[in-house]
Amino acid sequence: MIVSPTLHTAAIAALERAVNGALALSPHSRRELAALAGRVIAIDCTAPPFSVYLLPTAEGDLGLRGVHEGPVDTRVRGSGSAFAELAGSADPAATLVNGELSLEGNSAPLTELSRIVADLDVDWEAPLVDTLGDVAGHQLAGALRGLFSFGRDAGRSLARQLDEFVHEEARLTPPRAELEDFYSEVQALGLAVDRLGARLERARARLARLGED
Amino acid sequence: MKEKDTTHFGYREVDKDEKAGLVAGVFDSVASRYDLMNDLMSGGIHRLWKRFTIELSGVRPGHSVLDIAGGTGDLAAKFSRIVGETGQVILADINYAMLAVGRDKLLDHGLSQNLEFVQADAQCLPFPDDSFDCITIAFGLRNVTDKDLALRAMLRVLKPGGRLLVLEFSKPKNPLLSRAYDAYSFSVLPVMGRLVAGDSDSYRYLAESIRVHPDQETLKAMMEDAGFARVEYHDMTGGVVALHRGVKA
Repeated sequence: MIVSPTLHTAAIAALERAVNGALALSPHSRRELAALAGRVIAIDCTAPPFSVYLLPTAEGDLGLRGVHEGPVDTRVRGSGSAFAELAGSADPAATLVNGELSLEGNSAPLTELSRIVADLDVDWEAPLVDTLGDVAGHQLAGALRGLFSFGRDAGRSLARQLDEFVHEEARLTPPRAELEDFYSEVQALGLAVDRLGARLERARARLARLGED
Repeated sequence: MKEKDTTHFGYREVDKDEKAGLVAGVFDSVASRYDLMNDLMSGGIHRLWKRFTIELSGVRPGHSVLDIAGGTGDLAAKFSRIVGETGQVILADINYAMLAVGRDKLLDHGLSQNLEFVQADAQCLPFPDDSFDCITIAFGLRNVTDKDLALRAMLRVLKPGGRLLVLEFSKPKNPLLSRAYDAYSFSVLPVMGRLVAGDSDSYRYLAESIRVHPDQETLKAMMEDAGFARVEYHDMTGGVVALHRGVKA
């Protein structure tokens, strides 16, 4: 542990409280998270240096620990910006494969957790009704829901249109499918070159043996 | 002539037979306001020290845990949730008033299924050999009359491979912090104790008992002498508190 145990523990306790505060307002996410109970995901952030273990519970909370000495299902290592990219990614599996994160173990719990976080749908109504009363709380919650829903839809729409413009209209970068085809062709070419190299080596060794005879 | 067997009670040198009664007096007096005083004295940081202790305990579902000098049950409550229905947690304290406050608090929180409450002296633990996967003693060892005897008793009741965690006040390594800590302990704590718990003497004893408690390296050596293996410690908050961990080989 690089920082003092007290500071590290304080940061993790604060983070756990914030995450579970948000989860408490999203019963659907809690149910999904409960399905991951018993899994242990280790996050090793290299810059800034920070390690945390995520332990979803059967009650749908997310336990955060600074130290965990038992078995770990998934360990993912990388910089803070790479983790931020994963958390905001529409396709966590692709981000894991193509991004700058290194992964050990089973990736499924991590991609599932990332999806749950990305889909976190906070229900503001209960705390607002408790604080402001039935009528005002309900109206404000409705307004907030509309605002968040509009923001999310607008964000998705903008991302889709931007993607289309960049790939199809401006042709600034090739589309993802084309790029993936290119990557697989490069990989196939690499393998073919390796095989050819091996054959040449074998032929050279055979010629050398014939020369000796 | 036989030399008289004495020990520390704060800065006072007292007969060994006297200390348990004097410590009992301190905790009888503060039991009802113990949690509130802990929060006030440490600014809530004692919760972080205890959280780190739980993380380092490695306790898992099904484990059996003994929390000695468990007082008002902060650690026992957390362990009870971790070990689940298949595990067991024993909250032990020599002081009946503290144990009663802890028992009432945990029952009020709905924790009872896997919890037992035992009034026990850390020096002669009433449990069979090799009983526990983990033993914790948080802010309790300095009040024990014979610490070596208590450490050997804990080793006896731990299972092989089991861990002992001692969370205790220690010695700050930075001289500036040390001076500020002394000023706080001897000036602020007794006043706080008088205002909140109506007892300044008990909190003066707290400050004095911390100063005469073994420092990090001495306690490490004591644990090794008692027979613990792989003894290590972590300083927290600049060494104001240290968490020692040892394993029964």
